[in-house]
Amino acid sequence: MTKGVKLCIAAVAALFVGSVIACVILFKPSASRYIEIVQDGKVIQTVDLANADDQTFRIEAPDGGWNEVVIESGTVRISDADCPDHTCIKTGVLRSESVPIVCLPHKLVIRYCDGNGGEQ
Amino acid sequence: MRTRRLTELALLTAAALIVFIIELRIPNILPIPVKLGLANIFTVYAVYRYPAKDVSLLVFTRIALGTLFSGNFSAIIYSMAGAVLCLVGMLLIKRVIPINYLWLCSIIGALLHNTAQIAVAVLLTGTPAVLVYYPVLIAAGCIAGLFTGLCAQYMLNRLMPHNKDQEVQK
Repeated sequence: MTKGVKLCIAAVAALFVGSVIACVILFKPSASRYIEIVQDGKVIQTVDLANADDQTFRIEAPDGGWNEVVIESGTVRISDADCPDHTCIKTGVLRSESVPIVCLPHKLVIRYCDGNGGEQ
Repeated sequence: MRTRRLTELALLTAAALIVFIIELRIPNILPIPVKLGLANIFTVYAVYRYPAKDVSLLVFTRIALGTLFSGNFSAIIYSMAGAVLCLVGMLLIKRVIPINYLWLCSIIGALLHNTAQIAVAVLLTGTPAVLVYYPVLIAAGCIAGLFTGLCAQYMLNRLMPHNKDQEVQK
């Protein structure tokens, strides 16, 4: 085993451990109970998850697409959408502050926000 | 290019394409779009067997035809960026890493591939928030790179029996 190989193995191992730790920190569940729904940079709706009734509603994108948002028992997720990649659906339930539910084709973001409703 | 070399490269490209298409059919159960990148087995193998020019030819043919078959043309800029950085990185790192540590080269290639793809994602979408997924892609890249690298390593040992002796001495 040459020096270069050892160096590479060490670097790759360090990267792997570092990224796993970063994942754990980044994806830890949020303590906040308020979420905001942002469309094209503007907050269109704020929801208090702790007090919200279970509901399903559709958010229309200005250019014709739609996302179906489901709020049930204090969680929020996108259940259906007509975007091509369905990344927003696969993201599943919103858990962490650093990882919002994003639908890039429809410029839609659902994320945790600070308390008091987060109105701006 | 000699006929023998041309045939070998064509065979590798065809095999890589078949694997690529089979992988497309495997549904992605993860919330983020990560793949094993099984077609990379052939790229890593070729990096150690053929000159840089031939490997580039193999990779670009594979991507062009793969895009055609998958019908996902918007993805070509991601595939290309990933492949170019991965290829350049592997061709350079090959000078440091001997052939019986080929799997290591594959991991580094996978990491570079993911780095290029996330860089393109940030540039194209203009959302630096995508970078949150970078640690996930690094971790996934290590695992996927190790897997494809070991596959390539076994393939190489089968196809180049004289390499077995080196493998034993290790």
